Amino acid sequence: METENTSLILFEPKLEFMKFSLIPICLVFILVIGMAEANEPRAGFVKNVSGQAFIERNKVVTAAKVKDMLRENDILVTGNTGSMGVILQDNSVMSIGSNTRLVISKFAFEPANEKLSFIAQIKKGTVVYLTGLIAKLNHSGVRFETPAATCGIRGTHFAIKVEDPGN
Amino acid sequence: MKNKSLLRIRDIILPLVFLLLLISGCASSTQVVLLPDPDGKVGTLEVSNVKGTQTLNQAWQATVSASMDRIPSEPKLLEEEKVRQVFREALEAEPIPPVSFIIYFRTDRSVLSTESLTLLTKVMDAILSRKSTDIIISGHTDAVGAIDYNHRLSLRRAKAVADILISKGIDRQNIQVTYHGKGNPLVPTPDGRPEPRNRRVEITVR
Repeated sequence: METENTSLILFEPKLEFMKFSLIPICLVFILVIGMAEANEPRAGFVKNVSGQAFIERNKVVTAAKVKDMLRENDILVTGNTGSMGVILQDNSVMSIGSNTRLVISKFAFEPANEKLSFIAQIKKGTVVYLTGLIAKLNHSGVRFETPAATCGIRGTHFAIKVEDPGN
Repeated sequence: MKNKSLLRIRDIILPLVFLLLLISGCASSTQVVLLPDPDGKVGTLEVSNVKGTQTLNQAWQATVSASMDRIPSEPKLLEEEKVRQVFREALEAEPIPPVSFIIYFRTDRSVLSTESLTLLTKVMDAILSRKSTDIIISGHTDAVGAIDYNHRLSLRRAKAVADILISKGIDRQNIQVTYHGKGNPLVPTPDGRPEPRNRRVEITVR
C-alpha cells in the first residue's frame, strides 16, 4: 500500500508534494536495497569437510558439503570431531578445527566499488587464515573479533585459538 | 525498611557482577600465532585490543589477549611442533590457496603456442592437486579492432583453453568461461594501440 502511495506522489507535478514525498521514496529505496541484500552475494565456498561440520544460516543448521556456497552472516560450526576448509571470493583461505563457531559477520569483495572488507567473529575454537586480495587492496580490510578482547589482527598467515567461554 | 532492602540488593548484585567479569575475562582468552607464508616467507602480525597493539615478526611467535583491560601479552616463541599439535585439525583442513595463470596470444589469433601448451600441464597439475571444482577462464584482447569483434575473439581464446582442459579430462561443469573483449586490460592503453600483454587468457584454479 505504501509503495502505491509513493508512486502516485512521484507523478504528482506539484513541487511541495515532491518535497514531502522524498522521505517515503527514500524508505522504498532502503527497502529495495534491503531486499537486494537478503539475496546476498557469494562470500565463498566450502572446499573440504570432515566429521561434524555445519553451516548455520538464518538459524537453520545444515550439514556442510563440499562446494556449498557461503554468504555473509553464515555461521561455520563444528562438533567434537569436525573440521572444514573454505575458500573466500578474494582467494583468501580459511579453515577451522573441532568445537569451533565462526560468524562471517561481513564480507564485501567489490574492488570496482572499493568495497573490500571481511569481518569474522570467532566465538570459540581454532581458526587458520591466509589472506587474499581484500587484505592486499585494503590494509585494514580484514578483522577477526573474539569474545574476550576485540582483536584486530593484521598479517598474512596466522592461527587463532579462542577458549570456549562456556568451559 | 527501604534502606535495608536496597542494601540487600547491592549485597547480591555487586559480587555477582564481579563474578561475571571474572568468568568472562578469564574463560575466553585469545591466542594468535604467526605462521610462515606458504612460500616460506614470514610476514608481520599485529594483534590489537582496546588497550594496545603487539607486533609479531617471527614464525611460531604467539601472543595472548586475555581481557579488555590488558594489552596482548609480550610475543613468545612457541615450538613449531606444539603449534602444529594445537592447530592440527585446522591446519590439515587448510585448502591449498588458489593460483592464477596467464596465457598470451598473437594478434588476432586464438591458437595456443607450444609454450602455452606446456604451461597448460602446470594448470592441470594445479587442478588435480586441489581437486578443483572451480576453474575460471577469462578471455581478453588488446584495444585494436572493433568492440564486437574483440568480444568474439576473447571468447574464442577462452574457449580454446577450456576445450584443451576438457580434452584432458576436466569436467566441463567445473569450468566457468567469461570473456571481456578489450575490457579489464592488464596494461591500460588508448584505443587502437597493440599491446601483447593484454592479448591473453587468465585461468584461476580454486
